[in-house]
Amino acid sequence: MRGIDYVVKRTAFALITIFVAITLNFVLFRALPGDAVSDLARVPRATPELKAALTKEFGLDKPMAEQYVLYLQQLAHFNLGVSYVNQQPVWNNLRTALGNTIPMVLLGTIFAMVLGILTGVVSAWRRGTALDHISTNLAIAFYAVPTQWLGLVLIIVFAKYLPTYGRTSISFGSLSTLAHIKDVLVHMLMPSTTLALTLYGEYTLIVRSAMLETLGEDYVLTARAKGLSGWAVVRQHAFRNAMLPTVTLMALSLGYIVAGAILVEAVFSWPGIGRAVYESVFNNDYPMLQGAFLILTLSVVLFNFVADLLYFRLDPRITV
Amino acid sequence: MSPPLLEIRDLHVWFDLPHHRELHAVQGLSLELEAGERMGLVGESGCGKTTAILAVMGLLPPTASVAGSVMLNGDDMLAGGEDSIRPHRWVDIAMVFQGAMNALNPVRTVASQIVEPMELHGIASGAAADRRAGELLELVGIGSEAGGRFPHEFSGGMRQRAAIAMALACGPKILLADEPTTALDVMIQAQILDLLVALTKDLGLTLVLVTHDLPVVAQVCDRAAVMYAGEIVESGPMDTLFHGPRHPYTRMLFAATPDLYGDEEVLSIPGSPPRLDESIQGCPFQPRCDRAFDRCETERPRLAAIDRGHRAACHLNDVAAVPK
Amino acid sequence: MSRILIDPGMVDAPPKRTRGSWIRDVLRERPSAAVGAALLGVFVLIAIFAPLLEPYGIHEQVGPVFGPPSSRHWLGMDDGGIDMVSLLIEGTRISLTVGFAAALVATFIGGGVGIVAGYFGGWTDTILMRITDYFLVVPDVPLMIVVAAIWGPSLFHIIVVIGILLWTTTARIIRAQVKSVRERVYVKRARSLGAGNVRIIFRHVLPQVAPLMIANVVLAIAVAIFDETALAFLGLGDPTSTSWGTIIEHAFLRTAMSRGAWWAIVPPGICVALVVMGCYLLGQAIEDALNPRLRVAHLSVKTFRLRTLAGRGEEAV
Repeated sequence: MRGIDYVVKRTAFALITIFVAITLNFVLFRALPGDAVSDLARVPRATPELKAALTKEFGLDKPMAEQYVLYLQQLAHFNLGVSYVNQQPVWNNLRTALGNTIPMVLLGTIFAMVLGILTGVVSAWRRGTALDHISTNLAIAFYAVPTQWLGLVLIIVFAKYLPTYGRTSISFGSLSTLAHIKDVLVHMLMPSTTLALTLYGEYTLIVRSAMLETLGEDYVLTARAKGLSGWAVVRQHAFRNAMLPTVTLMALSLGYIVAGAILVEAVFSWPGIGRAVYESVFNNDYPMLQGAFLILTLSVVLFNFVADLLYFRLDPRITV
Repeated sequence: MSPPLLEIRDLHVWFDLPHHRELHAVQGLSLELEAGERMGLVGESGCGKTTAILAVMGLLPPTASVAGSVMLNGDDMLAGGEDSIRPHRWVDIAMVFQGAMNALNPVRTVASQIVEPMELHGIASGAAADRRAGELLELVGIGSEAGGRFPHEFSGGMRQRAAIAMALACGPKILLADEPTTALDVMIQAQILDLLVALTKDLGLTLVLVTHDLPVVAQVCDRAAVMYAGEIVESGPMDTLFHGPRHPYTRMLFAATPDLYGDEEVLSIPGSPPRLDESIQGCPFQPRCDRAFDRCETERPRLAAIDRGHRAACHLNDVAAVPK
Repeated sequence: MSRILIDPGMVDAPPKRTRGSWIRDVLRERPSAAVGAALLGVFVLIAIFAPLLEPYGIHEQVGPVFGPPSSRHWLGMDDGGIDMVSLLIEGTRISLTVGFAAALVATFIGGGVGIVAGYFGGWTDTILMRITDYFLVVPDVPLMIVVAAIWGPSLFHIIVVIGILLWTTTARIIRAQVKSVRERVYVKRARSLGAGNVRIIFRHVLPQVAPLMIANVVLAIAVAIFDETALAFLGLGDPTSTSWGTIIEHAFLRTAMSRGAWWAIVPPGICVALVVMGCYLLGQAIEDALNPRLRVAHLSVKTFRLRTLAGRGEEAV
């Protein structure tokens, strides 16, 4: 099978990176001075019994190496500790939070990608025209504004028309499922739109740059020599080729999506993993922070891996 | 005498440069191409040969301005700019580019790129087009099953053959080949050149071979046009150019070619070509010419007939003017 | 084979580019670079002369909480009754300082790693690039949050953390450039003449890579300021200092929104946007100028132009 070694290599890399991320998580929260989790003095409202229980569970009185092994074992069982704030397992909290974040981020990201690709392609094709200048500068402007600020501005403008707080306005029990879904979607509009607007600018610039480089390749000249019209050249030759570096760069920008999600959820109080991070910082809820950070890092690794595979599918030149 | 298939008359190409300057890349090029012949366009790197043939196909960037006419069967293709040239592309005139390595799209199969112009110009479509693509690949010496492969899977020579097959897709009358064998090793080079000769004979193609490599021209072409500083300085049958050149540049050019078997001295031409972003006074070759005289500094020579089918642009051919 | 009759001196000479003149050329040829540089320049000047420019003290209450804009206070007041214009000017200092410092740290580390990896190649390259790859995957803002949360918020921490995360992209870009420079004829010549590696790096590689590093610093400033604003908003900025980010955070927390006090929120964001835009325009223009491939376009909307020639002489017969 073509390029099986490539897939194997990338999978190995992803697995190693996951391992590095897990270890980094441990180091940050336990091993380094100022360690948040092992320093029980930091636990709010800690009774002696609670402290004893925590010590026992996480082996905080044992040497670092043993703690590490214990940590790995617990991870394998999805045991990420217990939240200081609501005394629930961190994993359960995070699972709920993730379930809220994913649709919102997905909506915003897909919209941003579609818009970004469209504007990027047209800008590159119409390079130098007024349309190009306007759309490029607009993209730069949206890329430049702070995400949280954009959210606040949208609230100022749209507060009368759209809900800007939380995920639902009415408690679940009193609504039919369909009405509930509709309610959630309406609440999702503002945070998703904010995220989308912040992201699309960067995507436009990435796509435009990739297209411009592609349009300088010889096979584009060949396509013109064959008599293809401008749009046909773009669609049948330039676009597919430009998507290769675009996919890679979009994957690299995932960290940016994560940051954006955190800020957007903080502004709109969307109960997702971003807000979990925000609130756990506020409340010194270190187990939650540790768990959330781990989840976020792992998801970036995962998406990078997906992007690698996608690139592999798109580029027939990959054999190694 | 039938009219020439392609007639380029007084072609000029300028490129915009920063600070309102211009590069006069092609300076009044005139050339005639008879049906079925193999014409070499020869000159140093930077003399404007590639620009000239790109101009014939209208493939110049927006920074270029063009003047003159390119007559195909009596119609001036350049008259309406891009719009009047586009219908002729690939159908009447096709091109094989320098370094076909990059001229083929790496993410599409070779066959699909051959089929593409066929479907675009309504020559064939669907299964018929696929079959025809396969035939073309056989014709150039690659098996038809290779069509399903991607360009990076081919060697340099095979890619060049594929590019030739692609150029023939719409049955053009004229094939422009720009340095088709540079960057290929000598053995492959010979094969590609033989292929080109065979194709012109079998398909009745007219070939323009652009190159700086004289032995290549000698092997393939019946006639050649020598280009210097953006214009043709001499054109005629290969034999005549070799044995009876009437322009000092042609003479020096052929003398500078090392002969594998001979033991003649290898001469190089001292100096370098003139800058094309400055206007040229007198004959452009004059600074490097070993037989220049006073008229050469002030008056630019015109391409004049020496003989049937042999033209040269040199004051030395004007017997009355040359000092004793 | 016939000789290729071109001047051999033309091949592969080190490009003559004096730093000063080249930057002037970029600014002249690309209006976006000039706009970007102007924007940045204005804010840098404001930052430098901040104390002289502030109309009122930044701890001085001159009006009611969230007082609206008036002729004496163009942008109204914040949650402490302090003049917004003065706050913004003061914020320029902190925001720009953090931005520049973090960007310098990142470019230093990234440039260093990139040069070493690109120049020496082999195992050094592989190991360094693997490390870079792992760093690349860690999402920056969460890490910054964690670091700030664990070790406490301070400007120093912020600068270090931003710097530590930004270096990775710089390293990759510089490494690619160094690899190509290394293969150039004049570098090979220098090595065959016995020049030591350090000397070659400083005399030949660095000047070639410097423009790219400059572009990178500029772009990194944009990211750094953006990140600082994000951290401040999440409560992890330095509480004792006034940056644009903390201004937005204070306003948000002290319910500027429900009071409709848009003047406490909109202006600082616009400032951030302008600086980031300026950095982006300038940095990207420099990068584009260095990338020759972007100049060629085989496809464009306009086509070549036709000219008529008047009286150009008779045809050859």
